[in-house]
Amino acid sequence: MKITDAAVFPYPNGDTSVRRFALEAAALGFDSLVAIDTPSATYGDVEVRSGVLFFDLPVRDIVNRVKRYRETDAVISVKAGDAGFNRAVIGMKGIHVLRALHDADKKGFDHVSARMAADNNVAVDIDLSVITKTRGIARQRAIARYRDILVLEQRFEFPLTLSTYARSVLDLRAVREFTGLCSLLDMDISLVEKALGGVGTVTTPPTPAVRVVA
Amino acid sequence: MTVRPPTLRDKRRYVLVRVEPAGTPLEQKDLYYAIADAITSLYGDAAAAIMIQAVVAAEGDYVFIRCRRGVERELATALSTITACRDTRIALRIIAASGTMEGLRKRIRTKTATEPGAESADACTFDSKTFTPVYCTGQKVDVIEKGFKNTHRFFLTTEDLETK
Repeated sequence: MKITDAAVFPYPNGDTSVRRFALEAAALGFDSLVAIDTPSATYGDVEVRSGVLFFDLPVRDIVNRVKRYRETDAVISVKAGDAGFNRAVIGMKGIHVLRALHDADKKGFDHVSARMAADNNVAVDIDLSVITKTRGIARQRAIARYRDILVLEQRFEFPLTLSTYARSVLDLRAVREFTGLCSLLDMDISLVEKALGGVGTVTTPPTPAVRVVA
Repeated sequence: MTVRPPTLRDKRRYVLVRVEPAGTPLEQKDLYYAIADAITSLYGDAAAAIMIQAVVAAEGDYVFIRCRRGVERELATALSTITACRDTRIALRIIAASGTMEGLRKRIRTKTATEPGAESADACTFDSKTFTPVYCTGQKVDVIEKGFKNTHRFFLTTEDLETK
């Protein structure tokens, strides 16, 4: 299991080069990163995986764009919307992560979406930058939303991912700090460990239930 | 109030923190207010009163923060929510916690780095833009784009730079 930060934004989306991100991530205890709009590479001991983020697009456009990336090793993620949009996206082949649920419609992720996410092996991302960067009511709402999602996770066991959405090396956090921040959401260490390996879980092709021996 | 004998005093813990980006000039008082604000907004006044945090000393890029014993984890979580100190973007990297400051001083690493202002005047190029290096240590290079108005810091590595 590789400990992964599920979303960073290297230069030109941020002020840090992808090599520097990899260098700092290794020092902070990470094995891999998902870098949005950046080609895959390995720098030192850190694997940088290419990431694609779709946002503010209708479902039809997302279907067309996902086809382009299906054969690549990119981690494909979509920003969440209302309930209908989220169900459509979760049911789509090739989608790995559903992001920014704290910012989506309150009823956008219900028990039906949770079951679909578990069945289709689509992860729900927890954006820790909301906890570190916001204050007051915005942070309270985000914590409440994530706690609500984690109740569904306990019931349906869909995959989770954790991300810092770092646009700078200053936004990165250590693995231990991830644990501390997740404790605010009532996540225990075993669940945090599982979530840190969530990207590997959703991108690994499922093993067939029946194997032909000869 | 008279000073209590040692056995009746509260047990304290010291947390060693490194301030990033390296070479950022910080006032101890400003950092204290940033930490106090982070703790209060995350845990509330009651928890902040229990923590009794204080910025005890600052040595170079390292800062010693004191708190009551048993709340180090909460303090560390609050410290990870600090993103700025008086409009200066910073990150606090927690290095270690100890019962004495002497125990933490052993954890301070002295790096040979190009100090801000003492950098070589050589400009470097990245993505067809010219930058001035402000801080170098190991493979890490912090640069500022050339131009008197732009002071935004970019974080690169020696391999990223096309010419040094």
